[in-house]
Order: sequence, then structure tokens, then C-alpha cells
Amino acid sequence: MIYSIFFYMLQQSSYLAVLIALLLLSVQPGRAQSPSDPAGPAHTSNSSTHYVGGIVTDEYGKPLSGVRVQTRGENNIVFTNTEGNFHIESSFGKMLIFSHPQFDVMEYLPRADTMLPIRMTTRFLHTPVANAPASFEQKDTIFIPAPDNEPIDVLYERTDRESFLGSISTVDRKALEATPATNYLFALQGRLTGLNIAQTSGYEAMGLDSLFTAQLLGNVPNNTTGAGPTDNSQFNIQLRGHAASSGQNPIAIVDGVQRELYSIDPRTIQSVSILKDPLSNLLLGQNSSRGAIIVTTNEPRLGPTRLNVTAETGTQTALGLPAPLPAYQYAYLLNEALQNNGKPPAYSQADFDAYRYHTDPIGHPDVNWYHTILRSAPTLSRLNLNASGGTALARYVIDLSYMNDQGMFVTTDANQYNTNVGLQRYLLNTKVDVNVNKYFTIRLQVMGRVQDGNQPGLTYNALLSNLLSTPNNAYPVLNPNGTYGGNANYTQNLLAQVESSGYNLDHLKDVLSNVELKYSLDKVTKGLWVKGSGNVSVQSETTMNRSLQTPVTELVVQSAGDTNYNNYGESLAQNNHYQTSSWARYRFVQLTAGYDRRFGDHSVSAELLFDQKRSLLNYDLPEDLTNFGGKAAYSYKDRYFIQGAADYSGYNRYEPGHQYGLFYAGGVGWDISREAFFRNILPVIDHLKLRATYGLTGNANVDYYGYYIWNTYFSGGPPTYPMGSTYNGDQSTLAEGGAPGSQYLANTNATWERADKFDGGLDMSLLHDRVVLTADYYHERYFDVMQDRGDNVALVGINYPAENIGVELYQGLELELTYQDRVGRVNYFVSGNAAAQQSKIIYMDEQYEQNPWNVHTGRPVNQLFGYVAQGLFQTAADAAASPSLPGYTQQAGDIKYKDLNGDGSIDQFDLAPIAKPRPLVIYGLSAGINYLGFELSALLQGDANRVSYVNRPYYNFGFLSQNNSYSQAYTPSLGRWIPENGTSATAPRLTAGGNTNNGEGYPYNTVMSSYWVHNGDFFRVKNVSLAYNLPYRWLRRAKVGDVKIFVNAQNLWTWAAFRGIDPEVSMPNYPLQRVLNAGINVKL
Amino acid sequence: MKLRYHTIFALAGITTVLVSCQKQYEPVPVEQTTLAYTFNTKDSAGVLALEYLSTCYLETFTNGHNRVGNDYLDAASDDAMSASLTLSDVQEIATGAYSAATPNADDDWTHMYAAIRDNTIFINEIYRVPLNELLPNGQPALPSYRSEARFLRALAYLQLVKRYGGVPLLGDTVFTITSNAQVPRNSFSDCINYIVSECTDIQDSLRTVAMITGATYGRITQGAALALKTEALMLAASPLYNGGNIAPSNPLTGYTSYDVTRWQLAAQAAQAVISSGIYSLMPNFKDVFITQAQPVGANTESIYWMQNGAGTSVETFNSPIGYSSEGALGYTSPTQNLVDAFPTDSGYAITATNSGYDATNPYNNRDPRLLSTIFCNGVSLWLNRYVQTYDGGLDKPGGTVVQTKTGYYMRKFMGPFETVAGSPQFGSTIHDWIFCRYAGIMLDYAEATNEFSGPSSAVYNALFQLRQRAGIFAGPNGYFGLPMNMDQATMRAAIQNERRCEMAFEEQRYFDIRRWQIAAAAYNTAPLVGMDIQSQPNQPLTYNRVPVLTTSFKAPSMYLYPIPYSEVVKNPQMQQNPGW
Repeated sequence: MIYSIFFYMLQQSSYLAVLIALLLLSVQPGRAQSPSDPAGPAHTSNSSTHYVGGIVTDEYGKPLSGVRVQTRGENNIVFTNTEGNFHIESSFGKMLIFSHPQFDVMEYLPRADTMLPIRMTTRFLHTPVANAPASFEQKDTIFIPAPDNEPIDVLYERTDRESFLGSISTVDRKALEATPATNYLFALQGRLTGLNIAQTSGYEAMGLDSLFTAQLLGNVPNNTTGAGPTDNSQFNIQLRGHAASSGQNPIAIVDGVQRELYSIDPRTIQSVSILKDPLSNLLLGQNSSRGAIIVTTNEPRLGPTRLNVTAETGTQTALGLPAPLPAYQYAYLLNEALQNNGKPPAYSQADFDAYRYHTDPIGHPDVNWYHTILRSAPTLSRLNLNASGGTALARYVIDLSYMNDQGMFVTTDANQYNTNVGLQRYLLNTKVDVNVNKYFTIRLQVMGRVQDGNQPGLTYNALLSNLLSTPNNAYPVLNPNGTYGGNANYTQNLLAQVESSGYNLDHLKDVLSNVELKYSLDKVTKGLWVKGSGNVSVQSETTMNRSLQTPVTELVVQSAGDTNYNNYGESLAQNNHYQTSSWARYRFVQLTAGYDRRFGDHSVSAELLFDQKRSLLNYDLPEDLTNFGGKAAYSYKDRYFIQGAADYSGYNRYEPGHQYGLFYAGGVGWDISREAFFRNILPVIDHLKLRATYGLTGNANVDYYGYYIWNTYFSGGPPTYPMGSTYNGDQSTLAEGGAPGSQYLANTNATWERADKFDGGLDMSLLHDRVVLTADYYHERYFDVMQDRGDNVALVGINYPAENIGVELYQGLELELTYQDRVGRVNYFVSGNAAAQQSKIIYMDEQYEQNPWNVHTGRPVNQLFGYVAQGLFQTAADAAASPSLPGYTQQAGDIKYKDLNGDGSIDQFDLAPIAKPRPLVIYGLSAGINYLGFELSALLQGDANRVSYVNRPYYNFGFLSQNNSYSQAYTPSLGRWIPENGTSATAPRLTAGGNTNNGEGYPYNTVMSSYWVHNGDFFRVKNVSLAYNLPYRWLRRAKVGDVKIFVNAQNLWTWAAFRGIDPEVSMPNYPLQRVLNAGINVKL
Repeated sequence: MKLRYHTIFALAGITTVLVSCQKQYEPVPVEQTTLAYTFNTKDSAGVLALEYLSTCYLETFTNGHNRVGNDYLDAASDDAMSASLTLSDVQEIATGAYSAATPNADDDWTHMYAAIRDNTIFINEIYRVPLNELLPNGQPALPSYRSEARFLRALAYLQLVKRYGGVPLLGDTVFTITSNAQVPRNSFSDCINYIVSECTDIQDSLRTVAMITGATYGRITQGAALALKTEALMLAASPLYNGGNIAPSNPLTGYTSYDVTRWQLAAQAAQAVISSGIYSLMPNFKDVFITQAQPVGANTESIYWMQNGAGTSVETFNSPIGYSSEGALGYTSPTQNLVDAFPTDSGYAITATNSGYDATNPYNNRDPRLLSTIFCNGVSLWLNRYVQTYDGGLDKPGGTVVQTKTGYYMRKFMGPFETVAGSPQFGSTIHDWIFCRYAGIMLDYAEATNEFSGPSSAVYNALFQLRQRAGIFAGPNGYFGLPMNMDQATMRAAIQNERRCEMAFEEQRYFDIRRWQIAAAAYNTAPLVGMDIQSQPNQPLTYNRVPVLTTSFKAPSMYLYPIPYSEVVKNPQMQQNPGW
């Protein structure tokens, strides 16, 4: 009921402000005791020593217990009590140093017996934890007293870092907060070691298609992306080099439930981790090869109500927009291209002049469409509210978030509706933890999400394609009479497509509810517990099509000088279609029983688990993933660790009787720093743990390769054979294994892909935890990889399906190194991570290749093959004398391909690797500094050894055949080959009307070749954030914990080895945005 | 208290298990019809089985109209060329630009083995269906349907054999994922024998033409089986395989020795079609291609064909480009070589003295089939105006648009749109693709008989009938312009020329020049020729033969297609054809 009211209110975003105001009013002022009422009396013992007392708070102004207080240069150390109070014997003029694992170190010079409250600032690199340990090991200096056993979020549970043997990398709140973006994936780039999040679009894709049963066969949402209509359409997520294109991307787990939820505001998330090793992912069973992204939304916190409100807004700038040629250059080069094709020129000198001097804007337009239809600085605004608190009995958290992301198209006030691209999202997430009694805890979570997308009636994808292809001189924007310009070739006007093509809306609705019951059976035997959790969630996406079409007009000058308007294009009335585009329902049940106990030096734990996830997507049959698993761990003296896990896991998309497989993993660890001998030898090392895991894991990606591919089936449908004298074709066809022409043989042996995975690593900290190092090596041998067999002869009369054939090796090194320290009041950190990834095809059932360069086996999995380019033909004689693609007569200015086997023709036997097989290196480097309330941080992210294959006909060539005319050309055309510039040419000769191919419809210069391979290395200043926390002494009277004013930027600056095009996103994809964001954050 | 929570947990667990065990959904999607359901043992109407058979037709038949990259296959012979501005598929074939690794566009290997699989499944499974349909003669219809699939399978094999020589014969095997599909080729002789024996086996169980009704129109008949047998035996007896084997000792590429009785078998098979009395020549040549077959329509000549129904696609694709208002695309450019093959209306070759041929009016007094087959400048009426293929004419305007390269467009297969009342536009016309027609069987008969026993009167008679129907004058001696007392070789040439004229664009010439082993001569002797027609005001038109395309044929390897490279490399048992 409350939620429905909430959603209703959210419909009117103005109500959100009211709601927040109400919540603000309802918050009790902090329970921090006033400084005039210190817990302990201030003593005065002698002239130089006395007692100083005070209170330490967190950023909310709430008392903070367990803060270590020390006088500089003296060995007086006390800790704050649960009320945040301390009193310490101190000399006048001595600096007090306050430290705590989660907070930056504070220095304060007390001037009196009683001092102002001290407000600590959260450390950048740590996760705030609900219950920090009351005390921690004493260190001789005060820098980063990191406790060893800070809990970390792993699959379905939290565990202590000490006994964790796997490979994990985590991003926590501060980094998430600093990212001005629509979803949390933006915050992971460059921050999670080994995870490559490549952006492919600057905007999310919007559902438009209606849901209909014919979509079903082979067109259902599949397990490739984890199951379900994914709401990540902007990123390719690759873990340790495994491509999403082979269904090997990681599984997203949000608050313990497998869910493809990415479009969540970064501020509502507490931490995101990636689990990479076989052991810690094993209970994913059939999907355990894929790794897991563990997302934990904000957690309930014990204590008085803490309220955290953030309002921020940013402006966006599109990056990497191509530079179109002005009309006169376009006209000149088109003439050249036509001449190269032996065609008469299209433009005269008078035309050139008219274009160049803009003397005839209607007859000779020169319209920069990018300036015409794109506006500057669209906004991204976000509003977040987080409230949490509670008692030992019950704790809660509420997150409300609103996001409004506007697109980059111009709009007109003439419309009553918005035609721009836009996305608005309302998110509500609540969690309540209840301790019913000493033994029984209940957690309830409800998350609701409403997301409304808006775009022009034509759709922004079509619009960007048109923008890419329409030349500057195609038609004037508007005619003198105010109508949209156009002509017989261009019957739609780009500006009209933006502002007068109506609009499309899509509505996404999500509700998830989790319940988790945990019951301790200590009464039965100490350490025994059972847990049950369940999740039900629904998602639906509906779209509204309100598009329309506006005709265009051409101004024609008659011979007598009279003018006349010709009309082209259709006027289509506004649509009013409403349809469901996707629909999903998920159910997840998990039952666990566990036992954790310590017997002296021996620590044991064991767990049995059953879970089942059922996904119902659109019209499809359910997908059921079922696991019967268990794991066990033993450690001796917290020094030697041995763990194991096994999972009997099934997926119902395999043939009945062949749905279940056994997966297992084990690991060992040795905390060498706890050995006495080690402490003696290398005292500088605080901590060193060696660990290794091995596992046999699985990946049930069969859906990616077909629909029930083990099933011999016949399917019907058109086309029909028109039997009978009336040719009615009243009999539909029925073909084996799919529609005629695309049939597949049943793969009765289909099974999951498997992998032998090894991960070995070490965790080390030294110099009193100033330096923290994590290193991992992994060796993953994938086998039973789905692929086509090599001897797939056509004699069989039907296509062979993908089979479990391939063997692939993935190897890599990962390194994470952090240095933290402080100098006086300056706290700072530098943290870097890098991962080198490489793969190799061990076996792929490759058929005999007579030439060594044709062989794929032994090369990287995604090795590019193509012709070897030897520059451009410089002379007609060379062109005529050189081997050619069959049927093509090359000319000077065309790419010269190498005839590797010397048979006089360029054919498949001349395909060779065209990119060096080097391990891909992905890296990120972040640094931050905190001084007197100022916080500055930056993130650099980049790729090295990356290969970029740039062959985009519209951009690289231009002048493609289009509407009886020729498409736009861009700056690369200026570097085309002409005899005068010879070897300095940067592009082949121009041709007109290549129809996506350069040269009379023949794909000569565009075929895959090394000519288009470039160095893809790049790095970006991904994020820079600057914040100022107002001094607490200004705020405390208003009972406000913290007011933080901040600015931050995403994608601030990019360096790329290959220039001219953004290394990740290029048109016609929605361009990447630079976001400059500012806002205010209030905590109380 | 403790007990209660235990109970709650236990109940929750049991409920979950129970719910998840409920049978709510089918284990495989219902839209995925199983084999058992397609060939349903309870479906006496055989609904799905017959739908499946309709797919077999669709998969086996290919519509020859503008089939190869929008061109007729015969545009890859010396009869025509593509008008395409870019390198066309047929030009690649005609210039020999293909290899095992980059097969030509007519490579049918995969397609035909797919058809063979489809048909074999039907043949193997149809017995499960308790079909109670009866033929008009009271016999069960099931054997007839099964025989249709066997016919289609035999046809698919013949399509393979005439391209590749001997190919693997799979019999009734349907491969599964676990089968070893690496089978060797069968000899040419085995393949022919298999096709012939299949035809022999099925011919009695098929429907007769008389049994065909409106609903069963388009199904394979007994006559079709006889005709297919003739086609197979004609191929087998042809010089390329019978005596002219390009690898004389290789049984895959043909017979290892010459045997004249193969011509006798072919002649007998053709005679069987003729003497069955089912078929006869239609009175009007043009109507053959646009008329439905007996007993539904008036076409007594069609034997088996692909059902395409009515439309205007042939007209729009191939009409001269000047009819652009009707969307005419002018794809096909017949050569002067073909035009010159047509005799005059008195039946004489144009080179013969007193033939009546006038080089200044080259289209006058010609075999009427010429203008039924080809649009010629100034004499072909189309949509109420005469075709203009002179330089600068409406149908050959110059510039960069697609237009005839030879001065001719193809006319065959089109509806009677010479003059049209009202607005000049094409009407919907039947464009079934006729694989085999009676005229072809008569030519087969003439050819085989001439080869086996010389130019007997029966041979002459077959040609007389064709020429008479064509509209050639019988002449004073009733020989329709044919020389009397020809020897075997002269008669062979006459039959070949007659076949070229009668069967142009019907995917005959392309294969005929191969099986007759004259392709090397046809492609390599001289460039193909077109007619350049110049029109000056107040002057008669001038005609000049101009070369239009230099074709190339690598003999002898190109007489057979290469087995696709991938098939050879993936199957150690697969033997490549010689020279590839």
C-alpha cells in the first residue's frame, strides 16, 4: 500500500521533493551528546598534563565508537565508547590523532578541556561497515589500521577476508558516488581488476518491438546474458577475456539473487565485487565458469536514523563525433569519385563557388547537420535519498532515487510533448532486518523500479544513421516559406525527423521482493544454522508509439525565374500504438543449512545448499536452473586453510536425463605471515597469504546456439509451395529443424561447456598496511566449447549445429597495488590495477590447411584473419600486374593485397592473421587526496595491446549509394589516394556509389584486411571528483552532520593511439558523453 | 517455540519442492512439432505429412526465372549475357571465374543434398500415416505421395550428376549428428542407374495426368517419371560421358567406354513418353510458357514444372528498360549468336543462299520463334510501341543505366502484352517454371535416334512437327527447310540448332553445350557478338555485329563443376573432379 502510494507520487516528480522534505522533518536530530556534556569529567592534574574529553562522530554527526585516539608523540591511546565519547590524558599543545579503519585519519589540536565534536571522513578505499570492530591491533604509527577480518560480500553471503581463498576485486561506495552516470557499470570501468567493461553505446537501447509469438523460435531472450531481457545495452562485459559473444559474460547477482539488473543508480549501491576464481563461484553450478558480479545495495545500519540526501546535475557533451566535409569539399571530391568510376562529374565550378560562399542557401545548401539537430549540454540530473537506522531488534534502510537523463537532440517548443531522447528512472529500495529473537533473523527487501524512456518517433538509432549519411548539400533545412526542405531523393528532412516525427515512449517496470529467514540451531548444536530465502520479481516493458511523418518541400526555380514548390514524402498521421515489448517473471528459492564452529585451533564450517531459479520470459517455456550444492572449510590456527565445494547442477534446456552435471572445486591457503619464523625474517610485511583454487566449472550457454537444439523437430510457416491450380499455397510448409534454408540438425549430445580453472594468488600488505598488494595468475582451460565441427559436410543435407568440441586456454596475470598514507592532515592514496589476458585455441576440429598462415589452431581465440595489405597501388602498371580478387580489376589507389601462396589470385588461401597476437592489457589508476574537508580523486582507465579494426564505410569512404544519390563524406576522404600524394595517402582512392563497397558494388577495398587494423591503445581520464565538506563547527548547531559540495566529471579526456574516432563508441551508435556534474550532499 | 520454527521451515521446504515438481509446462516447446506428430499414426488425413511434402517440392525445385544472380542460367552460355553494370554471377561463369574454393553461383551441392534429405525423410516416414485418401481410380493415395518424393529425390540427383558427374548416393539414409557422413562418390554409371531405377519403380504408383484435379494440380505424374528417366538416359548417352569422358578411365566422370546402346535406351525412353499419348505440342509456341497444364489448362506440353503462379516479375525483370514506367529492368541481353541461330521463315539457315535473309532487315522473314524469344529493334511490338534498341533509342539510351549490351532483350516466357488496351501495363501472367516439356522430349528422341540408328524418317518427323508448330513454311517438299538425306553428323547439327532455338533460356543450352562437349568451342572460339544498330535521320538503319563479351572455358576440367573445396577437404573420401 505504501509503495503504491509512493509510486503514485513519483508519477509527479514534484511530489518527490515534498516526500523528501517530510522525511527530513521526521528524522530525529542526532543523538550525539552536546559537547558541553562530555562523558567523562575533565581533570587537571598538573600544568602540562590534563584530561581532554570529547566526542567523535561519523559524517552523519552520529557517535562513532571504537575510534582510536592518541596524543601525538605520546603513547596515550584510548578508544571512543558506544556514545562516541573519549577522554584522554594529554598535554596542552599536543595534537590528538583520531583513526579508525573506515575513516581517514584526523588530527586535532585541542585548545581547552572540552573540545568540539570531531567528525571523521570516510576513507575512499574502504567499505563502510555496520559494526566495525570495537578495537583493533595497536600499531606504532597511525596510518591505516586495516582490520584483517573485515567482511566481504561473496556469493550469497558475507565472509571474512582472511579465510577467503578466491580472487575478488571490489569497488565501494566512494567510487560509486563519484560516478555521474545512469547505471553502476559506468563506475566499474578501470576499477575492477580483470573485468573489461567496454562501452559500445552512449545510450541504452529502448524496447520498441511488440511481443508476438512468432518471435519465439530462436529469438527468445536467452541464457547468454544470464537470462532475461537485459537492461545493459551499453556495455560489453568481459571477465578475464571471455567474450559475451560466446555466452561467457559474468552473472550479475544483486543482493543475493541472480538478476540482470544494471540500471541502478550508483548511489544506491554499497559495493560491487567481481568474483573470478572457480571456488568462490562454484555454487553457480551450471554457470560457474562465468564469474559473478556481486552487487550489494545499501545496507541497514544500526543506530539512530541517518539520512543522506544528494542532489546533483550534470551537463553532457558528445565525444568522437565525426567531422563532415563542407559542401564545397564534398562536391569537389564527389566529382573526383565519379571520375574514378568513369562517370561524368556532378558539379560545376559555379556549384563549387555557390557552396563555398553560401551565395545560394536554398539551391546550394551547406548544412552542418550535426550543428543543426544536436544541441549542446543536455543534462543528467539525479536525486538520491538514503535513510537507515534501527536498533538491535530491527534495522532498516530506504533508498529513493530519481534520475533524469536527457539526450542530445534539439527540441522545439511547438510540440506539446518531448521528442528528445530521454530516460527517467525512479527507484525505491528498502531492506528491513529483524532479529525476532536470539536465534531467528528475518530480512525483507523490496525493490521497485520505474523507468521511462523517450525518443523521437523515428527512433534515435535511425536518426543517427541518417545523420551519418546525409551530406551537407542534400537539401536546405527550411525553405523560405518555413516548410521543411527536401527533394525527390530525400523525402524526409533530418530536422523534421528530430522534432516533427512524434515520439516513442517505453515504460519499464520492475518489482523484486526478497525474504530471507535465518535460524540459528545453536540449541541443537552450537554453530548450526539454517537459512531460507526466496525472491519473486516481475518485469515488464511496454512501449507507446506516437510517431508521425512530415512531408518535405523543394523550392524549384522555373525557367522563367518563377518559383514553384514541389512536395515530396508522405504525411503520416500520428500513430497511437501501445504494445508490450517484453515481460519476465523470476522466482528464486534457496535453502541453506550450515555449520560454523571453532574448536581451539581448529575451525570448521560446512554448508549444504539447494536453490532453483525459474525465469519465465515473454511467451517462452520456463528456464530452470537448479543446484544441489555444498561446501566445507577447515582451518588450523587461522594459518592453514583448506576448502572444497561441489555442486550437482541442472539446467532444463538440456535433454531430459542429461540436464544435471557435477561441478567441484577446492582451494588451499597459507597465511605465511602468521608463522613465527616469517615475522622474524620479514617484519616489514604485515600480512602475506598465499592461496590457490582449482575447479571444474560449467557454462550452460546452449541457448546462445539454438533453441532446444537437442530436439529433433519440425517447424511450420511460410514460405509455402503453391500447390493446386489456384496457387493458393493453402498448405504451409513444415521443415525439419527450422525454416527451409536455415535448418539445423538436432544435437542430441549437447551439454554445457566446461572448464578446468586454476587461480593462484597472494594477498600482501606491508609497511603497516600502507601498501596492499594482490596478485593473481589464472589458467583456465575451457573444453566442450560449443562450436561448429570441422568436417561439417553438406552431404548430410542440413546444417550441423554447434557441438561441444572446442578446447581453449585462457591465461592471465592480475595485479592490484595500493599505497595509502598521510602527511599531517593530508590523507592520500594511489591505487593501480592491471590485467594481462591472453587466449589460445588448443583444439577446434580444424580441417587440413595447406598453408600455415591459414591455420587458426594455436592462435588467440578471437584472432582477426584477413588479407595482408601492402599499402596502395601507386601505379596502374603495378595494379594491372598484381594478383587480384577474382573478377575485380584493381586500379592505382586501391589496396594492394599480398598473394601469400603465390597462385596469382587473392582468395581464401591468402587470409592470414592481421593483428599481432599480444595479450590484452587493461588497467586503471586512481588516486585521491583528502585535506581539511577537501576531497579530490581521479581515475585513469585504459587498454594496451588493443587492436582496433576500423572499417566503417560511411565514415572511411563516403559517397555510398543512397537514395539515387551519394552519402555524406567525412574528413578521412581528404586523405584519399590521388597520384599527387602517392604513398602519403591515408585512404584508398575515392569511388562513388560503392553501395557499402568501394568500387562499383564490388567489395574490394572493404574486405577484411590489415589496411584497416590500427593500434587500439587508449586511455581516458575516466573520472575526476572534487568535493568540499563544510566544517562541522558550522553545521552542528543545525544538527547537520555534513554538507558536501562536489563537482565531478566522467570521460574528461581521452588519448587514443588511432585518432579521429572514439576508441570505443562510434557513429551511428549513440556517442559517448563527457559529463560535468555538480551537486550537494547533506548527511544528518 | 523451537518446534514451530522447525515446522515452518520444513513446510516451506516441502511446499517449494512440491511446487517445483508440478507438471506445469511441456518439456519441449509445442511449436516444435516432432517427427511422430508430423507423420502421425492417428492422422488419416495426413495434414502435416502433406505439408511436409509441400516443403519437399519447395526445396527440390528451383525457379529458373532470373535464377542466377537475377539472370537466366543461359545468360552464362553463348546465348545471352547479363546486362548488369557490375560483375554478374553469370558472367563469372561464362568467363571461367570460379574455382573449387569459390564455386560458381550455380553450385547446387548443398541445396540438392538438403532436398535429398528432406525427401528421404518423407519416403521413410510416410508409411506411419494411415492416410485414407484414395486416388480417382480407387487406389490408396499414399504410394503416390511417396513416389512424388522419390521423383523429387531422383531429380535432385540428376541436378547433381549433370553438374558434378558421379556423386555420393545416400539411398534411404538420413544422417544424424552421430553418423559418419564421410562417404565416397558413386560412379557416374551408378548414379544414372539409380535415377533410372527409381523412375521405373515409381512410375506406376504416381497419378496419371487424367487423375489430376484442381487440388492436386502441380503434383508429379506418371508422365513426369517417364520424362525424368529420359532426361537421365539422355545425359548418360551424351558424348561427355559416353565416349568423351574427360578422364577416360575415371568412372566418376562418365563411362569408361563408349556404348551406342545407351542412345538406344534414351530413344526408347523418349519413345515411351511420346507413345504414351498423354502429351502433344500446343498450337502456339508463345502460349506454352504462360498456360496451365492439362487437364486444368490447355497446355498439353508441360510434363513437370515448378508452381510459381501468376505475376509480372518476368516481365518487369526482363522487359526493355524503356518501359520504365512499368518498372522494366532489362536484365537479359540475348546475343547475336543466338539470333543468328534462328532460321528464316522458310526454315533455311540465314547463311544459306535463297534463305530469304536480308542483312539490312535482319528480323524480317524469320522463324517466328525469334520474335517470340527475343525483342528485336523496330519489329517487336511491346506495350503498344516498337522496341528501340538502336543507339540512343528508348531501350538503349546510353549513359550509365542498366541496358542491353547486345541490342536485344529477352521476350520468352512473357504474357501477350504487345498491344494493351487502356494504360500500357503488364497483367498478371502464369510463370510456372517448366523443367521438362514435350518438345524437349521430341528433341531428345530425335537426337538419340539419330545417334543410335541415323537420321531416319522418325528423326525428320520430330523436327517437322516442331517446325510446323513454330510457323515455319513446310516448303514445296514438306521438309520445312531442312535438307533432305542428311547424314548423321549433319542431322546432329540440325537437331542441336533446333534445340537451341526451341529451348532457349530454358536451362538447356547451358548444359547441352557441355554434354555435347562443344562448350570449349562455344566459349573460346570468338567473343560473343551483339548488334550495334545506328539510326540516322532519313537513313535506313545500319547493322554492325560487335563483340560484347570474351568468354573463357578451361577444357576439359570445366565440363564438370568442381566439388566444393570444403567438401573435399572435410571428407577424405571425397574425390575431386579432374583439373580442379
